Amino acid sequence: IPDSGHKYYLQFTIEDYRSGENAGSCLATVLYPKTKSAPVVNIKCLHTKDQKQIQDEDNRLYQHIRHQTKPIIGNNIPDSYGNIEPALEPVWALAVAGSSYIMWEKSTENLGYSMAQVKSVKQWIRKDDFIEFDYTVLLHEVPTQEIISCHMRLTWLPGHPMKVKYFCASETQEIEDGSGMEPGSAAGILYGRGANF
Amino acid sequence: MKILLVFTALVAAACSEQLFVGDQVLRVTAGDEEQMALLRVLGERAELQLDFWRHPSRPGLPADLQVPFPSLQEVKTFLESNNISYSVMIEDVQELLDEEKKTMNKSRRTERSTSTFDFASYHTVDEIYDWLNVLVADHPDLVSKLQIGQSYEKRPLYVLKFSTGGSNRSAIWLDTGIHSREWITQATGVWTANKIAEEYGQDPSLTTILDSMDIFLEIVVNPDGFAFTHSSNRLWRKTRSINAGSPCVGVDPNRNWDAGFGGAGSSSNPCSETYRGPYAHSESEVKSIVDFICGHGNVKSVVSIHSYSQMLLYPYGYKTAPAPNHQELNEVAKKAVSDLAAVYGTKYTYGSIADTIYMAGGTTVDWAYDNGVKYSFTFELRDTGRYGFLLPSSQIVPTATETWPALLDIMVHVLEHPY
Repeated sequence: IPDSGHKYYLQFTIEDYRSGENAGSCLATVLYPKTKSAPVVNIKCLHTKDQKQIQDEDNRLYQHIRHQTKPIIGNNIPDSYGNIEPALEPVWALAVAGSSYIMWEKSTENLGYSMAQVKSVKQWIRKDDFIEFDYTVLLHEVPTQEIISCHMRLTWLPGHPMKVKYFCASETQEIEDGSGMEPGSAAGILYGRGANF
Repeated sequence: MKILLVFTALVAAACSEQLFVGDQVLRVTAGDEEQMALLRVLGERAELQLDFWRHPSRPGLPADLQVPFPSLQEVKTFLESNNISYSVMIEDVQELLDEEKKTMNKSRRTERSTSTFDFASYHTVDEIYDWLNVLVADHPDLVSKLQIGQSYEKRPLYVLKFSTGGSNRSAIWLDTGIHSREWITQATGVWTANKIAEEYGQDPSLTTILDSMDIFLEIVVNPDGFAFTHSSNRLWRKTRSINAGSPCVGVDPNRNWDAGFGGAGSSSNPCSETYRGPYAHSESEVKSIVDFICGHGNVKSVVSIHSYSQMLLYPYGYKTAPAPNHQELNEVAKKAVSDLAAVYGTKYTYGSIADTIYMAGGTTVDWAYDNGVKYSFTFELRDTGRYGFLLPSSQIVPTATETWPALLDIMVHVLEHPY
């Protein structure tokens, strides 16, 4: 759009990140202003999963993590061979959700990301009901092909927005705050196919 | 009783996951006859769904009791309030079952690899290099192994030649493993090499191809990088050459070719993952292929295999101008992608590199194309980012299996369009 920027029209399907089943579709427009300020996003989605279903899955995920007797720790998830230990799969799923906030903030018209691996994770036991994890995640950046290491602190309780604080190695020393504005759903819908970075 | 229970548990675990998450097994010791009676009554309460792995027989002897997660609180309260001593023998029954399944799988895997090569797991450079000799020994009339050069760290660079005879026949070049972290590619290369050897004489298309053309396949283009992904950094991409004056190691071998060298999408910074190198063909891994293809003089197609993104690409990457025969390349890609999807439904996109993925100067296929190889393609195999480079080994055989018809489509087209 002359003198304004580039506007993209997207149509894509969404799928459950953990099960791969179709979860709906979306229509979106993304306007990248010439000024390089944050993009303007308009999005409308048709979800095939209802709120109750999502809530139930969130609660199941939450309960599984809560009733572990020891603080969860792990590294290299998946491992070199692509394996994720069943007991650590929920922790990986949370990392994907948290990383998506980081990637949302870092992405530009020309830079995209995927979460390559959870390098390490450590659970912090809290006195309240929230679950909290300390992660080092590796993001794969395209088209530069760089692997970016991010330190991520994630806090969550079903029904509440996921709180994400992060610091990625390639940036300056300040802690970035990637907190969500809407209720986060860790068992929910995250990735769209079709948008090409 | 216990055997039956474990068996049921295993069967249940195999059919439906996570049946015993959080369940515990408690070792309970009743101190006297009164406690024994209480324990028996507890066991009879159907709604608790308790299961004695070892029944209470005499006071003082331990009984083992499996307690489903929802009943844990009540059972423990009951035992404690009645002063019946107990300890937690198994903290999570499901975890135990998972462990067991893993061990079973592991031993099954080791068995397979001692007698035959395990195509469904990832291997090291040495394992692959050893297997090359096995393949040649098994198919001496079809397959031979050539060394086309040495890597920076002096590892041999091996190419398999599939040929039914003739002298310097028209040839198809395939390569995998140019970017070491893309493990699915080397694994696919191994499976494909084996497939070619097995299918000659069986598959009509492949047989016709090999009856008049040769196929060259280099499975580990970047052995130094590959060894490094096993020993030190699973996500290493480049070669391992030392860069003069820089602490950073390695050159991106897919930006080092002399086609649009130095252009967009490649970096002049040695620390970058897309560092192009000090000059085109500076990397011995690249130079060896250049020398081979130029020396051969009759290579009609180059297919370079990468991961991930699920794409089938053709030149150009270094410029947006379409390749002269882009329409033909597009048609070939369209058919190949469709035949790939027919296997398991895996969706690929296709087009020129610049249009479909991003601008990149100095790539393998652009060089091949600009040097007269009309049918140059790049594959980006599974997946689209969920596992990315860390694709589970369970996807090796499906990925290779679905890619095979796409490769055949390209090779058939090359055969039917001699030039």
